[in-house]
Amino acid sequence: MKILLAAPVLAALAAPPASGHHSFAAEYDGNRPVSVEGTVARVDWTNPHIWIYVDVPGEDGALVRWAFSAAPPGVLMRRGIMKSVIPIGEVIRVEGFRARDGSNNASGGSITFPDGRRVLTASAEDPAPEED
Amino acid sequence: MRGRCLSTAAAAVLAAGLSAVPAAFAQDATPRTPNGRPDFSGFWSNPMRPGGPAVTVFDAEAMAPFTPGGEALFFEPRTGDPRHDEPRAFCMPSGFPSGFFGPYPIQIVQTDDWLVMVTEFQRITRLIPLDGRAHREGIEPTYYGDPVGSWDGDTLVIDSRNFKRWSLDDYYYQDPTRYRMHTEDFRTIERIRYMDDETLSYHFTVEDPQIFVEPWSEEFEMTLHPEWEAVGLYEFVCEENNRCAGGECEDP
Repeated sequence: MKILLAAPVLAALAAPPASGHHSFAAEYDGNRPVSVEGTVARVDWTNPHIWIYVDVPGEDGALVRWAFSAAPPGVLMRRGIMKSVIPIGEVIRVEGFRARDGSNNASGGSITFPDGRRVLTASAEDPAPEED
Repeated sequence: MRGRCLSTAAAAVLAAGLSAVPAAFAQDATPRTPNGRPDFSGFWSNPMRPGGPAVTVFDAEAMAPFTPGGEALFFEPRTGDPRHDEPRAFCMPSGFPSGFFGPYPIQIVQTDDWLVMVTEFQRITRLIPLDGRAHREGIEPTYYGDPVGSWDGDTLVIDSRNFKRWSLDDYYYQDPTRYRMHTEDFRTIERIRYMDDETLSYHFTVEDPQIFVEPWSEEFEMTLHPEWEAVGLYEFVCEENNRCAGGECEDP
């Protein structure tokens, strides 16, 4: 299911988020879950959090880029989730919680692949989407 | 399975003729360093309550009463400036004990004279002398304090002091409006001992006479994770994605 967007937010394309280790409560709103489906455009496999960029078609067909901050690489690798699990060009659904600043940034809690596989990408200390 | 040769350690101790070795040493299953002390080397979980949340914060019910004015020193409200409110977002140190209570592996490497604790998170390193030396004098307070270790039987006692004023724990995960802090009079006493072959008791005492009328303690557990040994700790270079690199914060 694609999220409905009022308008393409071109600014988001030009201003990728870059944050250090975050406090979930400070940056994200646990009461504003978000679920988008789109194409993986970029993956920053960096500490202190990985970032997954997903291009999501808007209502007018223009792509809107969402950026999801997830767990640190080490936490994910210990779960068996390597960077190769999230290939560029893959269509995925990402669930998380929206940034408090209203931008298209979010905390990425889980990824679901077209074949139904679902992997948890949230940090251990952060809220995660509920299981299906 | 633990990757240690107990018989080799026992032989070394017997050959050295050390009289201080506990009587139960040869019979029990406790891994030991060549001098016969319990060997905590290995990969451990962060200190947690059994079955508790991944992030350990101190229980307000366990704390001693505040001194007059202590509560105002203990709780520091957020200001709206993330450089103050979330210094770790800008790769500032977590400090001790905060950085050791998050949900990340801790590796311990121990010799007769040193115990080294390394967390995966921020690759924090604590170097704890076990050779009986005193605390260092005349140095400025630090984020991780000045620890020295000693032995109380099979219990390792780590006395740390000389801290900067900094966050006590990750309390803000429970209450995002404020931090819990300690002062420069903060002192911690850790008492670490084996409960069984795969579990450590981690008893933690807080002293901060500016904030609390008396010391208070809590006990946690650390769990051995031998499955982490094959890969070890992963790298954690916070500066890799630090939006305040060089002190110039973007979009604060």
